[in-house]
Amino acid sequence: MDLWFVISNAIVLACIYGTLAIGVSITWSSLGLLNLAYGFIFTLAGYGAWLVSEHVSDWGPVLLAAGILVGALGGIMVCAFAFIPTHDKPNFTIRGMIATLAISLLGTQALLWWFGPRAKTLPGIFGDWKVSLSGMVLGADKIGNVLTSVVMLVAVLRWMQSSRRGLEIRAMMMNPHAASIVGIGVRRTSFYVMAITGSLAGLAAVLLSQTYYISPFGGLTPMIKGVSIALCGGLGSVRGAVIAAMVLGLNESLTTVTIGGRYVLITQFVFIIAILLVRPRGIAGILDKAREA
Amino acid sequence: MSDVDTSSKWRNPVFLWGAKGAVEELPTNPFRSHQEIWRKTRESKTELFPVGRLRYYYKWPGHGGATWNRLRYWPTRRRVIRVRGEYNPKTLRREKTIVDKRPIWWLLGLLVLAMGPLCTPLGVQNTLLTAASTFAIYASISLCWMLIIGTAGIFTLASYAVVGTAAFCTAYLSISFGVPWWLLPPIGAAAGLIFGGIIALPATRLDGFYYALLTLGLNELCRVYFTTSPIFGAANGGLFGASTFIPDSASQFGRLLTSYYACFALLLLALLFYRQVNGRRLGRILRMAPEKREAFAEAVGVNYRSARIRVFVLSSIGLGFIGGFYTANFGGVAFSLFNFDTVLLGLGMLVIGGIGRAEGAVIGTFIVVFFDKFLITLGPLRLILIGLIMLFVSLYLRNGLFGIKAQFRNWRDKKKSERRSTRAEKGGEMLPEEATETLDKDIVYMRRFDKMQRDYLKTLVSPEVIAEHQGSPQGQHSEALQRLLIYFRGRPQIDKYAITCVEVNKAYRIVALSGHRGVPPRLVEDKIYPTPKDAFHGVFVRRVQDLLES
Repeated sequence: MDLWFVISNAIVLACIYGTLAIGVSITWSSLGLLNLAYGFIFTLAGYGAWLVSEHVSDWGPVLLAAGILVGALGGIMVCAFAFIPTHDKPNFTIRGMIATLAISLLGTQALLWWFGPRAKTLPGIFGDWKVSLSGMVLGADKIGNVLTSVVMLVAVLRWMQSSRRGLEIRAMMMNPHAASIVGIGVRRTSFYVMAITGSLAGLAAVLLSQTYYISPFGGLTPMIKGVSIALCGGLGSVRGAVIAAMVLGLNESLTTVTIGGRYVLITQFVFIIAILLVRPRGIAGILDKAREA
Repeated sequence: MSDVDTSSKWRNPVFLWGAKGAVEELPTNPFRSHQEIWRKTRESKTELFPVGRLRYYYKWPGHGGATWNRLRYWPTRRRVIRVRGEYNPKTLRREKTIVDKRPIWWLLGLLVLAMGPLCTPLGVQNTLLTAASTFAIYASISLCWMLIIGTAGIFTLASYAVVGTAAFCTAYLSISFGVPWWLLPPIGAAAGLIFGGIIALPATRLDGFYYALLTLGLNELCRVYFTTSPIFGAANGGLFGASTFIPDSASQFGRLLTSYYACFALLLLALLFYRQVNGRRLGRILRMAPEKREAFAEAVGVNYRSARIRVFVLSSIGLGFIGGFYTANFGGVAFSLFNFDTVLLGLGMLVIGGIGRAEGAVIGTFIVVFFDKFLITLGPLRLILIGLIMLFVSLYLRNGLFGIKAQFRNWRDKKKSERRSTRAEKGGEMLPEEATETLDKDIVYMRRFDKMQRDYLKTLVSPEVIAEHQGSPQGQHSEALQRLLIYFRGRPQIDKYAITCVEVNKAYRIVALSGHRGVPPRLVEDKIYPTPKDAFHGVFVRRVQDLLES
């Protein structure tokens, strides 16, 4: 029973954090931009879904769609304000990162100003039914979370592998310079990438709204988790992000059960530092090939 | 010049001797001096504006016998102000120019900070003094952080975590064990050394952004750990009641003043520290190994890795010291030191001022603290303003406010060279880039002369001249035609037109010489000319056409 609880929790966390981490990872490897406004996009999408639930409808799929759409919008905004003006200037990596940090500061303070500091909650998205499987009780939330994030991730990855736009994005991930030479527009592709990663953040925001309430600064912790998983898995590698998400999700639920929730971040970072000391570019990262922005 | 001969008639001088087929008078071009082109080419086409690129420096007079006196930092040979001395060639007097005025600005700024509290208006005294002490502490933190980011080039975001950890440890020791206030900064420094040593470990392996992300996480880790652990005051938002150097008996103004001057002394210490690290051996080593040129530095024997780590650990000790001072100054510490917003504002301070300069750190801190603490009535709007400034700086400025000058100069030079390139006309002349790479400089002048000559000859081509040549391809010619023919005849052998005889007195064709021995001429056109005269004229027309096209 206890073991099953740990494993099911680990899987749920891994799915959601994996969604976030893959977003960070794709942005970095295709655009060379460290999107530290990811937490802001996350929060923005949460607020978008909350507004929809207040004014339009609180049916689960509608909320999910609203979160995804607002997240994509937020991604496009960050792209327009941070990536487009800086991507061809000297020192792009640092300046892009600082620009996204500035957007994050600006955006969260604007949200605080507009909505106030009180946390908002979303209605349960998947209802409140339960499934009993050989002594293990799975709530609607868990099953829904896992299914939705897996469906979304698979859809995104399939799209990236089979569509024309996905081909462009993958070309940018391999070699941005060569991609621009063969006629793949950096600016246009960046909008696709940011919209996709933003929608992943939006999805995670709605799914996580049961754990982390929607508040102006609520996006920070998920972003840091996403970023550290992406880091641990190797920036730019989807496979590594998935492995790292599973390992760290397991670590999180194990720590919570054994020594307490307070120590989750400590064990997680000890773990990540240990991995990074052995493999400086993450689990699946290639050691000597850094992305040349 | 052009009024020497304006008639457009040419009188054949050999007509009087009865030359065969000579005509007495022929229409031709009016005279045109070849010197017009020469003058036009040589004159400057640059528009002259009243303001040039004159850089105005005040020239101080030399001091006669004291010419060679220098003010130096004892006991080094470093000079306090960089002065360039020279003799003015016109007045023959000795002049001095202050090349680098930064020490003067620093002195004035620090004097203002030192004198400031004595002349603040009474109404805002408390707000101003509190804000000024905060400014001094944050400026010291920014200076240490600037050493890590600017000098060592390690992009860390965990500086406030080091400060906070040291502050919390010292506050805990002071509250639980009654450690006196004067021991807190050294203990903080020790805590900083330990913490800095631990987080320097991954910095040896990770580079750039991987480290930034990791430290972002470390900051969050510290925040979560300290806010949730009961011994560090999870219940009341921080640890308060540590021993402090501010006397309880003093009035509120006296306490604020003590605190302000203590913080000011800390700022001076931090500036000294920055100078000692950045301006001496370590800083010089690291200036040798900027990002992406590490391989070169390593090849010439610079151990940049150990230098980076040493700067990192030294700065961490400094940050820990500031943490201990923080506790001793405020008598406690709040969790807000670990907030993500604090880190963002701190990074904003560095970025706004410009990374890699002490003045950037201090002025950036001043701007951010001014918005954050002095305009506190604006609420979240003030942070939005700071965010906007930060966004603006990162999007449009290459290196913060203090990089504006260099950026502006670069931009101006770029615009200048763009304008110069639109002015330059190329007609066989060498461009400056080409000219510097040509070994035989005669070629440069030859091409330049050739271009002028062609420009002039083009003006001579007219229907009259062509008609004259058609009338008599050989024999005496008018001046214009003669000049053209002399030029054409003097061209090099390669691709020079010639006439080949297909059948005597019946068929002639135009060919172009190869210019190389053993390589036959190539045919130019299929046209067959019935007489040599026609063929001569055909060659002339082709050459005129080539001239006009060049």
